[in-house]
Amino acid sequence: MDIFTTEIIKDSLVALGDEMFNAMVRTSMSPIIYETTDFAVGATDAKGNLLAQGNGVTAFLATLDTAVQSCLEHYPNPGDIEPGDVIITNSPYHGGGTHLSDVVIILPVFFEGELVAFTVNKAHWTEVGGAQPGSVSTCATEIYQEGLHFKFLKLYNSGEINQSLVGLIEANVRLPESTLGDMHAGVAAARVGAKRIEELIKKYNKSQVLYAMDELLDYGERMTQAELLKLPQGEYQAESVVEEDGLGNGPFTIRVKVTIADGRMKVDYTGTDPQAEGPINCSYTGLVTGARCLFKAVTNSDIPANGGCFRALDIICPPGTVVSAQSPAPVSLYYEPLIAAIDVMWQALAPVVPDRLPAGHQRSVGATFISGEHPDNGELFVMGEPLVGGWGASAGQDGDSGQFCCANGETFNIPAELFENRYGVQIQQYAFHNEDGGAGEFRGGKGVVLDYEVTADVAYLTYAASQTVTRPWAMQGGQQGSNNYALILRKDGSEERHHMCTTVPVEKGEVIRLYTGTGGGFGEPSRRPAEKVVADIKNGYITAEQAQRDYGFEPQQEGFSG
Amino acid sequence: MRAASDVGGTFTDLVYYNYDETTGESGQVSVAKADTTPPNFEQGVLNAIHKAGINPEALGFFAHGSTVIINALTERKGVKTALITTRGFRDVLEIARGNRPDLFNFNFRKPKPFVERYLRLELPERVNHKGELQQEVDLSELPKMIDYLKSEGVEAIAISFLHAYLNSENETKTVTAVRGLWPEVSILASSDISREWREYERSNTTVLSAYVHPIAKKYIESLQEKLAKGGFKQQPYMMQSNGGIATVNSAKNNPITMVESGPASGIFAAAYLGKKIDEPNLIVLDIGGTTAKCALIENAEVKVTTEYYIERDEKSPGYPIQTPVSEIVEIGNGGGSIAWTDEGGKLHVGPQSAGAMPGPAAYGRGGNKPTTTDSNLILGRIDKNCFVGGEVEPDMAAVEQAFAPIMETLDIGLEEAARGVVRIANANMTNALRLVSTNKGYDPRDFALLAFGGGGAMHAVALAEELKVPRVIVPVNSSVFSAWGMLLTDLRRDYLQTQPMSLNAESSSAIKERFEQLKQRAVEDYRQDQVGDQQELVFEHLADLRYQGQEHTVKIALPCDKDGCIDLDAAVETFHQAHLKRFTYRLDADVQLVNFHLVAKVEVPKPEIARKTIHGKTLEETLLHKRTVDFDQHGCHESCVYDGLALEPGMSFHGPAIIQEPSATLVISPGHRAEVDDYGNYIIHLQQAEQ
Repeated sequence: MDIFTTEIIKDSLVALGDEMFNAMVRTSMSPIIYETTDFAVGATDAKGNLLAQGNGVTAFLATLDTAVQSCLEHYPNPGDIEPGDVIITNSPYHGGGTHLSDVVIILPVFFEGELVAFTVNKAHWTEVGGAQPGSVSTCATEIYQEGLHFKFLKLYNSGEINQSLVGLIEANVRLPESTLGDMHAGVAAARVGAKRIEELIKKYNKSQVLYAMDELLDYGERMTQAELLKLPQGEYQAESVVEEDGLGNGPFTIRVKVTIADGRMKVDYTGTDPQAEGPINCSYTGLVTGARCLFKAVTNSDIPANGGCFRALDIICPPGTVVSAQSPAPVSLYYEPLIAAIDVMWQALAPVVPDRLPAGHQRSVGATFISGEHPDNGELFVMGEPLVGGWGASAGQDGDSGQFCCANGETFNIPAELFENRYGVQIQQYAFHNEDGGAGEFRGGKGVVLDYEVTADVAYLTYAASQTVTRPWAMQGGQQGSNNYALILRKDGSEERHHMCTTVPVEKGEVIRLYTGTGGGFGEPSRRPAEKVVADIKNGYITAEQAQRDYGFEPQQEGFSG
Repeated sequence: MRAASDVGGTFTDLVYYNYDETTGESGQVSVAKADTTPPNFEQGVLNAIHKAGINPEALGFFAHGSTVIINALTERKGVKTALITTRGFRDVLEIARGNRPDLFNFNFRKPKPFVERYLRLELPERVNHKGELQQEVDLSELPKMIDYLKSEGVEAIAISFLHAYLNSENETKTVTAVRGLWPEVSILASSDISREWREYERSNTTVLSAYVHPIAKKYIESLQEKLAKGGFKQQPYMMQSNGGIATVNSAKNNPITMVESGPASGIFAAAYLGKKIDEPNLIVLDIGGTTAKCALIENAEVKVTTEYYIERDEKSPGYPIQTPVSEIVEIGNGGGSIAWTDEGGKLHVGPQSAGAMPGPAAYGRGGNKPTTTDSNLILGRIDKNCFVGGEVEPDMAAVEQAFAPIMETLDIGLEEAARGVVRIANANMTNALRLVSTNKGYDPRDFALLAFGGGGAMHAVALAEELKVPRVIVPVNSSVFSAWGMLLTDLRRDYLQTQPMSLNAESSSAIKERFEQLKQRAVEDYRQDQVGDQQELVFEHLADLRYQGQEHTVKIALPCDKDGCIDLDAAVETFHQAHLKRFTYRLDADVQLVNFHLVAKVEVPKPEIARKTIHGKTLEETLLHKRTVDFDQHGCHESCVYDGLALEPGMSFHGPAIIQEPSATLVISPGHRAEVDDYGNYIIHLQQAEQ
């Protein structure tokens, strides 16, 4: 076999990920897909091994191959899946599962009657029905309240769309046009990938393409092995909590033991607390995603992910924990325990991989939803967005300020000028705050404070965060970071603090103030050179009082204070 | 005499031709080159003028493009700059958009803002999203601020207030007050730099323009002075990123418009040539030493965008610049790109380049890494006896040595390694070409591929096979094509204005009125620059449209009659069609106009493209020699090598063949048909398209 032909086929397979990613952005009608890029696309071989993936967010890494693998378990016999079939699933408790809003579309690719590959994507649909608009709440007690649940259903049978299923979806969601638009976008993107695979086989022949697929997986394994061998062998442990489940229960502890030995990494979550009554549960397949995410960060963040990269990773967790929840646990806020699961693994490994892992970050999506009637035109608006916060400091560098959390990635904040046009809210500040936290030889990155003044007659706030009581962890004597939380500044001058809430009314002229955590510090603050402390004061990154208390420094000069 | 110059990293190019003002007749275009002379770049320009034997007194027109702005930005050689924002928003510059393109790098850091936090100040003021003044700016703190900025050694100030694109009152008031307190400082308001929304992008653009403002001013003034001393009677024009030229006055006021003046001229030359030879739809490829640039031309129009970034790649969000720039995709793949293998035994080409020094291994100047150019030499595609125009004898021993590590790692021979490098380089370029075509909804079969630059001709046919483009066009003298483009530009100003409104009959008078206001601004701006008084202003009405409730906009040309009346029904239908092409669907929703975009041009005379003389030579007479060329998948073939400069219009032949010019080599694999057009350009008809 000519090695360069194999190389070109491999590159074409990897490029598939990007092509399907673009196709999805081009066809989708939902801002959560084309702006927050809350989706992933990919292709697997006929057995469900991930060949290539295009992601907008890290937290969807490798949810696609497990979805295909579960699909093959549902349709185990030859002839169960036929050319022209399209399968739809959003089951949180099976492969690829996260929460019901994330819907997976699977398209089998056949060549001359033989199943050769799958193309697959997973995207956050704006609406899948359920008790709350947007299908996310902090108060569900069973999955049945969180929306429609598809378990590996055929959306297409041999090329024919299943009209009964489409009709069922249409009748059960609040924004049917956008929901069905998202569905068609998923099918269109999967078809783009399938067409490219067929073209590749026509151009190079089947055996050469199938060989290149195997080679690609082996390449991923080799690249990962090379990195894994550079990591220090040993056993590392950590634990952290998700404070509450939205119903007043908690905290829930997540524990991990990471073992690196003999070219393998074992991640064991045994000892994690049982699943919660409220919706902060994550299923085992969600946990797999999280563990793979951090595994990728410490092995090789450069090469495109494929199934071969994860052959050396074992993930263990007994069923029924808050990160391996069983039916019918509600899961709409699954991303908070998922991020906590990433975070404990991160915390366990950071001391031994300090060049790749900084101290703890804000560790929460900080998802905020505000809805109401737009004062300009009386139309309903629904704003949903994640928040940026502070990342931890690392050996040699201060933390990054105002960045989305580790589960996000190519995610963009909404400019204030667009925001005010679209929603009944005026933004009064979007700035770094000076809450205590993050001091160190290297300083944690700054969290932000956001003021939303309501201009609609009344608006409704739904907010969910973790690390609202506990703080981002520090390293080597640094100071912990600060908390995520929301305040409502009422007209009567009172302040209400929220960590998890659903549709709380806020009146015109009242302010929703959101704080995101500052990241953890690295090293003793007293070791920070005086000139850096002087610069921090001048820049307003720390106050004179913090300089004195945390760094033992007498300030002489401040920046401009008008 | 009319001339244009382009200051590149290594050379300063000059193109010029005789122009008879009375008859309007133009002569042959010539080219001269001089070394670039940092830091006094204007010296290199004068050297080139001198080398060409031109008396500056005889120059009736002189346009100038340079990399001074982009260099000052990328090398961080601008001045200490401050930013004044609306109270509560000074950190927007540092928060940016919050994204992390390098997804799995948890040690990621955003690029640092160009203004440190202690120089980012705030004033109480507010305009709301409808453009209504909610709070007049309170300037009582300003004198204290100015004292502080003076004491910090600041040389430039950017002002960027929320919603100033709709209402610039508070910004203007602040600028006036600052000028009163500190006349010498460079001061730029966001409303003079960009009238589009998105506060981070607009603020960053204003900051970057302020950062280079004093440098640009000094540079332009010393160029003016040196040219005047040499006897030049006119004012020079400056090349801009939108493909047009600007007066020195306008360039000095907003220097960021010159950020990408180099690459644009080649693309505009392509559009111009396309119009002449009746090829209005082109995929354009310019392959240089370190990068390849791609663009798409539809209906002879180059697409201009304000979504432009510097230093942006797969790992970094870079810095947005909200100024009109020709839409170009650039990748790190050129003739000097280095081939290497990673730990998993995978072969890569680029983005590192051997550059001009030491250059490819074959230059024999100490380059010890294999490059794309070296591979083309090994495969016989480049003539060993005519390497770098015959000036260099290729050091083949050095080439073999450079390839040794790859041959060892992959356990393959030299030719096989070279084929691999070319194939991977081609795959990289194909991906870039897909980005500007298929990924945006265009079918490459509807286009011709126009290739130029040092390496364009070498790879074009192979890329066309891959993309299924039916025709390849390689302009004669393709290595200086970009420079020639500088003589083909008009005076151009782009006015963008964000002001969302429905596109329907009710808003038609508001839309017309908006465009009228923009035209008034254009007329006034040109009047201040003392051009356009006698000359005719030409307007183009563009708009960024979207479906109500959607985010993505599509730029379209609004169908417009002579009185500036827009045919709304036709505009809506054009939008539906464009949206369908770009995003694969159309909706039954209301259409919203987001940005008004007026282009105001003053047309400048351009040189005729000279027809190539027919001497009646036979094809055999133009044959240089025959040699064996490796066409990769198409096999090794004994090929005819023609002297490109001797070929005559109407000649036609089939590959395997090579057309050779002193600084370009056109590789034609077996089966494709080449012909020479009236101007001497080479047109290759691909076999699959002819069948």
